[in-house]
Amino acid sequence: MAETATTSTAVSWTQHGAWADIAQAGQLGAAGPAGVTAILQGGFGLATLIATPGGAPALSGLVESRTGITLPATPTIVSGASHDAIWSGPEQWLLRAATHDGFAELLEALSVQAAVSEQSDARAAVRLSGPQIRDALAKGVMLDLHPAAFAVGDTALTSIAHIGVHLWRLTDEPDGSVFEIMVARSMVGSFWSWFAASAAEFGCQVSIDRSTGRG
Amino acid sequence: MRITCPHCGARDAQEFSYLGAADPKRPEGMAASEAAMATYVYQRDNPAGVHRELWYHGAGCHAWLVVSRDTRTHAITAVEPAKARKAGATA
Repeated sequence: MAETATTSTAVSWTQHGAWADIAQAGQLGAAGPAGVTAILQGGFGLATLIATPGGAPALSGLVESRTGITLPATPTIVSGASHDAIWSGPEQWLLRAATHDGFAELLEALSVQAAVSEQSDARAAVRLSGPQIRDALAKGVMLDLHPAAFAVGDTALTSIAHIGVHLWRLTDEPDGSVFEIMVARSMVGSFWSWFAASAAEFGCQVSIDRSTGRG
Repeated sequence: MRITCPHCGARDAQEFSYLGAADPKRPEGMAASEAAMATYVYQRDNPAGVHRELWYHGAGCHAWLVVSRDTRTHAITAVEPAKARKAGATA
């Protein structure tokens, strides 16, 4: 009896990643060396933190004691060994964990200092790099992403093709700059439609990273 | 037109929504007369010059801003978080 129930649950509730049925691994658009590289992210823990009025320093201290990272007061991302704190408005942040291990317990602990909302399954993230990534992003991003204007660690809330996005720049890799874009999961299809069309002329290598949220 | 959000930096106006004049204050509670409410709801200045107005950064940090804009030239002379003004008013 118990086994029957377990089996039927397993059939009707299967994990369905944010990118499933929308983007596939492989080469997109032009053949040859890829001008753009996209790594679809999954498996990360994510939550919004909103500090109580005047409580930002205390919240930052609490986050630091638990994760080793502080909360940025300006539009930047602070990355630690296993967590990222991403500015998402005045006294608001996204807290991302590489895995779900201990994440619920961490959020519980932070909830004494902040309004905490678990968002792990609410957003989709993609990591973008390649020699022509800025040319591809320029087709939709209204911001100046030149290295002089948008440094490593900078983050921005803006829109692409009328879709709200959260984007930031990670540490450079040998082949150049690395950006990450996070969109509401319900908008992933629309976002990918824009991205695939924009990156096609440069050739885009798409791969999937389900192991961690950090690629 | 670009608006320099105090939180996000210079952004295109399409990231923002316009609400209207920033300075009209709602009369106090239920005691306000009909005439006072009518004035608050409908009477607006239409200046040819500097206008203080509310904008919402809906595609960005979701903050309400008070923008001082010259209606003749669209030149923006000041942008401040509406929250700061509210805190100042109650103090």
